[in-house]
Amino acid sequence: MAFIEVTDPISLVKSIILIICAILVILGGIGILRYKDDLERVMYARIHILGIADMACILALLVLGEFLLAAAYFILAPFNAHAISNAYYYGEEKN
Amino acid sequence: MDLLLISEYILIVALAIFSLATIRITTRKTTAMGLVGLSGLSIAVATILILFKNIYGLAFSGDIALALIVLGPVGTIAFSKVLRGGG
Repeated sequence: MAFIEVTDPISLVKSIILIICAILVILGGIGILRYKDDLERVMYARIHILGIADMACILALLVLGEFLLAAAYFILAPFNAHAISNAYYYGEEKN
Repeated sequence: MDLLLISEYILIVALAIFSLATIRITTRKTTAMGLVGLSGLSIAVATILILFKNIYGLAFSGDIALALIVLGPVGTIAFSKVLRGGG
């Protein structure tokens, strides 16, 4: 009896995609922490890295069968990122 | 043990680590950095809740995740409008 069982090819593909999402999320976590705060325009870099982690989570939601949630967040995430960078530019960077 | 279950557990651990990183970012100095951290945290927690729903069959965590995924960005956009200021 093998320790790891693979019931069918579909769950094998799902597992591979979930593991790829886990790797992307970990890289996203490392990425947003590694930049120093005094780096110029570090905010926009972190928003970009956050976008990668967002897309990994959307991919995971699709694999887990939550299509409504994935579609909702796929639409909202760009507005989210743009609103934050717009607010940072006009609210904090230009002053 | 089923490979799909193992990969779901791996994703939960990765999302937990990412959540700690986003909480760490939230404490940095600018207000907008707090927004970045919290928007990352809301999607990470929502995905963890969906994984709990799949693994343990907790139906209510799917509803909480839906609320988080919809209200998280809406709140962030509203706060960004305030942070942006006049004009």
